[in-house]
Amino acid sequence: MRSLAGRMRRMARALLPRRRREQEMDDELRHHLELETEANVRHGLPPEQARRAALLRLGGLEPSKEACRQSWPGRLWEDLGQDVRYGLRGLRRSPGFTAAVALTLGLGIGANTAVFSLVNGVLLKPLPYARGDQLVVLRQPDAHAGAADLGFSVPEVRDYRELSRAFDSVVEYHSMDFTLLGGGDARRVRTGVVSWNFFDVLEVKALLGRSFRADDEQPGADAVLVLSNDYWRALGGDPGIVGRRFEMNDRVHTVVGVLHAIPQYPDDNDVFMPATACPFRNRPDVLGNRRGRMLNAFARIAPGITLAQAQADLDGISARLRRAYPDALPRDSEARVALSPLKEDLVRQARPTFLVLLATVALVLLIACANVANLTLARLVERSRELAVRSALGAGRVRLLRQLLTESTIVALAGGALGLLLAYVTGDLLTAFAARLTPRASEVTIDGRVLLFTLGVSVLTGVLAGTLPGLPGREKIAPTLLGDSGRTTSDRRRQRMRSSLVAWQLALSFVLLIGAALMLRSFENLRRVDAGFRADQVLTARLNLNFSSYSNAEHRIDVERVNAFYRALDDQLRGLPGVVAIGAAWTFPLNSAFQNDGTFAIEGRDASGAPPKATFVGVSPAYFEALGVPLVRGRVFDERDRAGGPGAVIVNQRLARRYWPDDDPVGRRISTDRGRTWRTIAGVVGDVRQSSLDREPQDAVYLPFREFPGYGSILFVRTLGAPGRIAEQVRAAARTADAQTAVTELRTLADIRSEALSSPRLTSVLLGLFATVALVITAAGLGGLIAYSVSRRTHEIGIRMALGADRSRITAMVLREGMTSVAIGLVMGLAGALALSRLVSGLLFGVGPNDPICFTASAVVLVLAAVAGCVVPARRATTVSPMSALRAEV
Amino acid sequence: MARANIDLLQGTLDVLVLRTLAGGPMHGWGIAQRIQQVSEDVLRVNQGSLYPALHRLEDEGWIAAEWGASENNRKAKYYRLTRRGQRQLEAETENWQRLAAAVARILQTA
Repeated sequence: MRSLAGRMRRMARALLPRRRREQEMDDELRHHLELETEANVRHGLPPEQARRAALLRLGGLEPSKEACRQSWPGRLWEDLGQDVRYGLRGLRRSPGFTAAVALTLGLGIGANTAVFSLVNGVLLKPLPYARGDQLVVLRQPDAHAGAADLGFSVPEVRDYRELSRAFDSVVEYHSMDFTLLGGGDARRVRTGVVSWNFFDVLEVKALLGRSFRADDEQPGADAVLVLSNDYWRALGGDPGIVGRRFEMNDRVHTVVGVLHAIPQYPDDNDVFMPATACPFRNRPDVLGNRRGRMLNAFARIAPGITLAQAQADLDGISARLRRAYPDALPRDSEARVALSPLKEDLVRQARPTFLVLLATVALVLLIACANVANLTLARLVERSRELAVRSALGAGRVRLLRQLLTESTIVALAGGALGLLLAYVTGDLLTAFAARLTPRASEVTIDGRVLLFTLGVSVLTGVLAGTLPGLPGREKIAPTLLGDSGRTTSDRRRQRMRSSLVAWQLALSFVLLIGAALMLRSFENLRRVDAGFRADQVLTARLNLNFSSYSNAEHRIDVERVNAFYRALDDQLRGLPGVVAIGAAWTFPLNSAFQNDGTFAIEGRDASGAPPKATFVGVSPAYFEALGVPLVRGRVFDERDRAGGPGAVIVNQRLARRYWPDDDPVGRRISTDRGRTWRTIAGVVGDVRQSSLDREPQDAVYLPFREFPGYGSILFVRTLGAPGRIAEQVRAAARTADAQTAVTELRTLADIRSEALSSPRLTSVLLGLFATVALVITAAGLGGLIAYSVSRRTHEIGIRMALGADRSRITAMVLREGMTSVAIGLVMGLAGALALSRLVSGLLFGVGPNDPICFTASAVVLVLAAVAGCVVPARRATTVSPMSALRAEV
Repeated sequence: MARANIDLLQGTLDVLVLRTLAGGPMHGWGIAQRIQQVSEDVLRVNQGSLYPALHRLEDEGWIAAEWGASENNRKAKYYRLTRRGQRQLEAETENWQRLAAAVARILQTA
């Protein structure tokens, strides 16, 4: 209970110049010693002894002073300042050590900071919507047909919105392409078409202007637009953009607002429009059709309602709807709407990769830490003299330990700064990587939390690296001071400690190597996958027609007019040099966003079981030739296959083998409308991976594009020369065929394939990089350990050589020592890898998590690196001259 | 010095210093001598802990120090009791006496 006045006095004393206080203490203690000495002389001691007795009684001058200093206020900060000063001085004295440690830790901390910024931005931060945890995605799965989501029809969304009690609201969403006209080339505008209260449900406020209002959705309302943040920036970020008018398709739309940056989900949209803006959704036959499912549904759970309660509410409504409209859903489907939190949807793909990366960099840092601890241990031995002197001058054990900790923390903080720099420099690369896995990538930044993490990791690293080596025991200090070379029990203990640290490093490196090897093999397998098409020399482009000019009065596609466009385009393209084949289709291969699964019936077969299902893709006659997909049987589409034609389909081999394992499917008939009309199989083609490289090709039914064209399509142009060279000519040709055609995504088929590999490529590159860093650090650590051991055993090696051991035996002896650690490391690492490999199994392709080849290869690499690390010290051991070695310590 | 000395209990040094200074200003060595004399050599002050204690008491404001000339004209640091130190001494003395009385009672009855 110190009074305020007392505290003030202490503070005042703390402000006294330290030198004056030291001077006063010196004077006071000297005076004391003089008086005590004189008293002793009076008691009859000779002067020399009298002074010695006085000193003894005081308990030594320096320790006594130190005890006084301890009682001074502000002591802690002063000590810290002193520790830091000493630390910096010591580190400056050995710049090599300092640089090696700071660099090692910098790499480790940098990797951790970078990966944590991903984890923080994507997995940890709350969604950038108010109360984002209440937002859910609604799905209508059809387990029977294997479809994850049938989607919702307009009446279904309305029913769920009106009947549910568990939600604040249920809103709809779908995406389509508009064409921006006026002022230069026609441009594709990716448009999210949403309920007017979509953004209110997300609780996203507009950055500029406003979001939608109920009257925007009224029939006859003015056409309005809300811009996404990205699109607004791409347009120049004009703060006065609200009120600007955009001519899109057949209407003029007015910008009423700009959104904040939010995850672009489910699609990357340029603009948003209210639900009434889409002419197709508002066709009478869609509005009233319960089976016209073209919408996604999102909802906000009402406050206080749990996910389970919301699900129960939905189940009740589903059952009611099923009774009221028994034909609305496929006969055998489960009729259940599934809920999942929005956040899970946003990060599902990224989570496993990020967690594996996080675990990897944590291991790298641990390895780096062990190395630094080892370096510190080695340095401690060199410094034992300094420490002994300081101990004799009154520094307690705690104080010494604190000094060492301060030093390692200073270096770790320097490493942290370096790491932060590293993370900052690689930030864009990592964000681009994350963008392939999650729409939240734009939220990845180095924010306060990341800075705090880096600071915390740096300090922790410093403390760990500083305490692992421990401190020489008391018994160690005195002999060192007396000039003993210092081979004591504690020395041997420390050597054991160093060996086990290195064994741990080897084990962790082994685990990382295995992880990297597994990823590398997966990537290699993926790279070698035959996707079913020849990717070379094909240019692709996305074409978007202005749908207003190609629709009839009922907002249905005008097939003849679209076909006329493609004929005109064909004429233009065929004139270009080197063009071999021109195909068009609803989608490009390896397109994970394309989902068009459906069921069909086979003529003459029992339809009571689960119906056959397939992916349906509309393709033009030359599509297969352009992509290099082989025709196995029958024919491809031709001029006959158009509206009113024979009604042909083409199937892939997989489907053919499944349903006609023994006979020819050509000429058989299938129905996609439950037997109302039948279409004849005209040909069988090779299997193409339409959705992704790592998924087996699905059964596929190809429909004639000429009979079922779309407003948008993907164009494929196979050329003799480099496909990129004709890109501009293709664009010009499309414009010539119709000036209002938007041409985007001009790239080669090889680009599409390479794009599909980019995320696994980067993951395996990152893991490989981290494993390499870990391996180099570990090999250096092992080399350092062996070098130290050799230098300690110079004497012994000299004797052995004097007794006739030849160089190879000495080398073998040194290597054996290193390989003992390696063997222990391999065993521990193997156990660790077997325990952990399940973690990565979700990321693997075509290789098991316990793949023996990867394990063996990693072991070989580890042993080679270890041998390389040991070779230098081993060579040094063999150059020991027996005579000088024997003289070294006598 | 054949008589057994009693090591000072933790904290008792403070109150002894305060009591000694109640007699007038004194320097460090003098305080140590005085405690030893008055206790008839029973209490032997550990000189190593005397000065840290003095500095601490000074920080608390219970004693104040100033430099002066000693008996044979040497520069010496003299400590004197402050008014707050006086109050502290009274409180501590009372505590001591209660403690001593309690201990004595236990020793007699048990």
